Amino acid sequence: MTGTLAADGVSFAYPAPRFSRGGVHGPRRIGTLHNISLHLAPGTSTALVGSSGSGKSTLVRILLALAKPSAGAVALGVREVKPGPARSLRWYRQAVQYIPQNPAGSLDPRMTVAQLLGEPLRQLRVAGNHRALVAEALERIEVPAGLMERRSGELSGGQNQRVAIARALAVQPAYLLADEPVSGLDLPLRDTVLSLLSSLVREEGLGLLLVTHDLGTAARMSGTTAVLAHGRIVEHGPTHRVLDSPGSPEAAALVQASAALHFPPAVPAGAAP
Amino acid sequence: MPGGTAFVKVTVSRVLALVALVALIGMMPWLSGRGAEYTILRARYSDREPTPEALAAVRAELGLEQGPLPLFVSWIRGVFAGDLGTSWISNTPVAPGIASALSISVTLMAFALAAAAIIALLLCTPAVRDGLRQRRRPASGALSAALTSLPEFLLAAMLLVAGAVWLQWFPPFGWKGPEYAVLPALSLGIPAGGLIGLLMSDAIRAGFAEQWVGTWRMSGAGPVRLSAAVLRRALPAVLPQIGLVLIGLTGGAVAVEKVYAIPGLGRALLGAASAQDIPTLQAGMLALMGLALLVGTLTTAARYLLIGPAVRFGTLPLAEPPRPGNRRQLALPAAAGITLLLVVGAGLLRDPFTSDHARIAAPGWSLPFGADASGRDLLARVGHGAVGTLGTALVVVLACLAVGIVVGLFPLAAAGPLEVANAAPPILAGLVVAALSGPSAHGAAVAVAAVSWAPLAAHTAALAQEARAQPYVQILPVLGVGRARIMFRYVLPAVAWPLLRHAMLRLPGVALALAALGFLGLGPQQPSPEWGLILAEGIGYVERAPWAVLAPASALVLASVVAVGLAGAGHPARFFARNSAGAVPPPGTNVAPEHVQAPAGVR
Amino acid sequence: MPAPALSVTDLALSSGGRQLVHPLTFAVAAGERVALLGASGSGKSLTAAALTGSLPEGIAARGTITFGAGSGKGKAALIRQDPSTALNPLVPIGRQLGIPLRSAGYSRAAAKAEAARLLERAGIEEPGRILPRYTGQLSGGQLQRACIAHALACGAPVLVADEPTTALDAVTQHTVLETLRTWGTEGRSLLFITHDLAAAGSLCTRALVMEAGRIVEQAPMAELLRNPQHPYTRRMVQAASRSVAPLAAANEVATTAASSADSSTEGAAPRSAPATAVAA
Repeated sequence: MTGTLAADGVSFAYPAPRFSRGGVHGPRRIGTLHNISLHLAPGTSTALVGSSGSGKSTLVRILLALAKPSAGAVALGVREVKPGPARSLRWYRQAVQYIPQNPAGSLDPRMTVAQLLGEPLRQLRVAGNHRALVAEALERIEVPAGLMERRSGELSGGQNQRVAIARALAVQPAYLLADEPVSGLDLPLRDTVLSLLSSLVREEGLGLLLVTHDLGTAARMSGTTAVLAHGRIVEHGPTHRVLDSPGSPEAAALVQASAALHFPPAVPAGAAP
Repeated sequence: MPGGTAFVKVTVSRVLALVALVALIGMMPWLSGRGAEYTILRARYSDREPTPEALAAVRAELGLEQGPLPLFVSWIRGVFAGDLGTSWISNTPVAPGIASALSISVTLMAFALAAAAIIALLLCTPAVRDGLRQRRRPASGALSAALTSLPEFLLAAMLLVAGAVWLQWFPPFGWKGPEYAVLPALSLGIPAGGLIGLLMSDAIRAGFAEQWVGTWRMSGAGPVRLSAAVLRRALPAVLPQIGLVLIGLTGGAVAVEKVYAIPGLGRALLGAASAQDIPTLQAGMLALMGLALLVGTLTTAARYLLIGPAVRFGTLPLAEPPRPGNRRQLALPAAAGITLLLVVGAGLLRDPFTSDHARIAAPGWSLPFGADASGRDLLARVGHGAVGTLGTALVVVLACLAVGIVVGLFPLAAAGPLEVANAAPPILAGLVVAALSGPSAHGAAVAVAAVSWAPLAAHTAALAQEARAQPYVQILPVLGVGRARIMFRYVLPAVAWPLLRHAMLRLPGVALALAALGFLGLGPQQPSPEWGLILAEGIGYVERAPWAVLAPASALVLASVVAVGLAGAGHPARFFARNSAGAVPPPGTNVAPEHVQAPAGVR
Repeated sequence: MPAPALSVTDLALSSGGRQLVHPLTFAVAAGERVALLGASGSGKSLTAAALTGSLPEGIAARGTITFGAGSGKGKAALIRQDPSTALNPLVPIGRQLGIPLRSAGYSRAAAKAEAARLLERAGIEEPGRILPRYTGQLSGGQLQRACIAHALACGAPVLVADEPTTALDAVTQHTVLETLRTWGTEGRSLLFITHDLAAAGSLCTRALVMEAGRIVEQAPMAELLRNPQHPYTRRMVQAASRSVAPLAAANEVATTAASSADSSTEGAAPRSAPATAVAA
């Protein structure tokens, strides 16, 4: 039984002043974090909402043990997690998986679907018949088994998306971190992916952390929402409370923006013939 | 990767590379080893027998007994005190001769620069005109590519034949007045100007293709204002490469000064290298290094000045200009390649060594290319020379590929050596190697390899960086894939094929560099049928037997056309790697418009 | 009806014999805000490129595009998804805004003041601080608004906005949409190209829906949302309404706040989000 996935008092700052040598980093230092605490439990869905530059991506990197917090710690159950060699993190990778922004892009175009899904199983030394696990994972997200030998270039956008999700699920993780999993998608496809994720939480007891800049998606997907702004959690609680009575100006701005951007929109008056 | 540590690593690497270079120059007497003693003995004391005692006396006199470090320390002390040492051959101070030779070379380069500037300007004009008229044409090529394709030593020989022998407009040899500078300046300026013009017009086209130009047009910005803004945007991107072209002039000057018998630094160095007069070579190399540093500093300063305050916020890299993908541009190189193959094939069936023809026999049916001064079949020599030159070039290229891949995977630490290797002209490397170990085919190969790995390393670095930035590589740690497996299973396969292609595209260019060394007598010696060597032999008879020059020269021209054609076909290969920061997108990353079956999820 | 600000007749785009956009005919009236909706690959971005004369290489265009009858320098301004290259990275924003103003006869000082005023109208607070900055110092949302200010400075009667909000986060999207809304006042027209129905719905009065290079539906926005005809439109509207149902409660809070920004929401589509789709 896996315990909670917890970040306790996590801070992050870049070690040295950054030289912007032909670089992409402006004078603003983005991606710092201050004393973040966040607890996830199996079978629940938490939304992490914030504007770009609020520190969402840094927090995800720390939760994935890809970056080391300058203070605080990440733990799964009672075991602390730190970045390290691949071998020492196998147990953690098997328990916590990830769907990146633009999941389809995360598929190596040179590999077949079977190879793509088999890679984490092999690398994480997952027990059991890998072929069967791959087939099972594909079946769970309704990808026909006949596509196993295709490469990502031969699949449709929606199928690629599913394959990326299947790869994360193939190792049967207890937690899934999804970083803006739908922001690049057309609306109908967006809907399908979100439905799939919420059924995984409800029916399979997956713990989901959904990272998004969109409160509408948060409202649909998650009971709990944390709002991240300037590297701090400015609001954390039941999603409906955050939506109904945002307690911070940042959260209020997000609510207003999300409402204005969502359906049904207030159609402006105009030259209607 | 954090910017701070990267900056420190690059700086440390640069400083170390510079120190290593100075140390190499300082220790040359020690590195030259045994061979030097005999040379000096023969040069200075021709009456003495080379007994062990005599040799030991020479060693003691030259201070070679001290070992490398004291030798270096005393040399560098001398340099700081203004004493560049004493010539091993003439036993006189080196400094005055080097100073006067340097002043002649700098004058020659100024003339060459003027020629280059005029040519570059002429080549850029169509790009500006097209840009202002909103015509998007593929990057121009044919003319400037043809200009760049000719190595200086070949062009110098051809201009000598045309301008001094046939037309008799200019004096063939010497350095007595401005008219003596015209042909040498053109020999240096035409390829340099062609290359600068090519780079600039590509950058200008890329600049005009940027979206803000449309915004400015809407603003009603006039043609002058628009051109000035585009130039300011385009120039910084190519300035480092222009700097390298200018530094490259020093290598070309060696060949040109030899052909036209100009008493400049290049010829002084060539003489010093063949006589193993190490102190003269040391002083000359130091002067050239100073010149290169000066050019590098000036271009960097100009670049920062042009970009202005925006440099702090990181300017966006200039996109690659649209490139022609059509076959028409490949037709000429293909024809040149086929002709070359036919010549080589015919030549291989004949005997290149025996002198069974009349001396400088004119071409005829049985002797299509004529005979050389020793009565040897020129067609046979050219054909066999191709195998020797191209075969050596293949070995050099493969060695460079291996070094390039290893170095390219650690790009930051290698930044300094990479820049040095990239800037150093092969001819100068050839001078050093020949001075240390005597001229030989091996030495030439080592010299060319020593400076030719840099573009491949830079390309590896750029490709590896691109491969590592792919989302499908970035996610691998989360899937439990370890570092070694990421490198060997994912990154290397992604970079291997384009690199091999790039290496093969460099083959003719490397062959030309080898030929240049052969021409200067720094490569294989008689009676090897090596292209550069055949040309050098023929040049003495150019008035009586032009075919002795034409045969090897046309083979080299054909090889040059193939070289540029190939480089243009795989466009990044052409001076792509001269930008060690890897800011230029690697091949095959042409941005696909959304409708052209972009793979899912690209947007 | 006044002469349209932009009219397109039989515009067809093809690449190497492949028809990418089939002959299109539509018009945008002066002061109208029109949405051009469609999935990626439907040909909407190419259409935008054709309207602003920035078609990629190798695409052939036929047909006619005319801009507002009579208006002197009638031309469409364009803003895109990625604004980072829309302005010269080596010249401060203020100087670039000054180019059209100076050629329109403003003195140096007056041009500067006018540039600041335009930035403010485009929704940038403290324009005085933005004027001396370079593009590398601005965020995506600020850049989009600087581009809109530039279009204002040029006096362009039509703005073509190609997915201007896709790459932005929700809060910034909101501010850019607000700026685009103010663009439409004073008789200027807007063609808003997007796949985001919600954004289009809140901004535009009329919609064109494109699929596979053809316009498959044309209707006033309210009508389109209430009663979509074409299967693709229907799918899009359904998906959009489903994705937000739980936010209905929040809408109440938000609209009170939003109404201060845009008080004229008469003729709005009924707020009848089908709140059943997801709840389970």
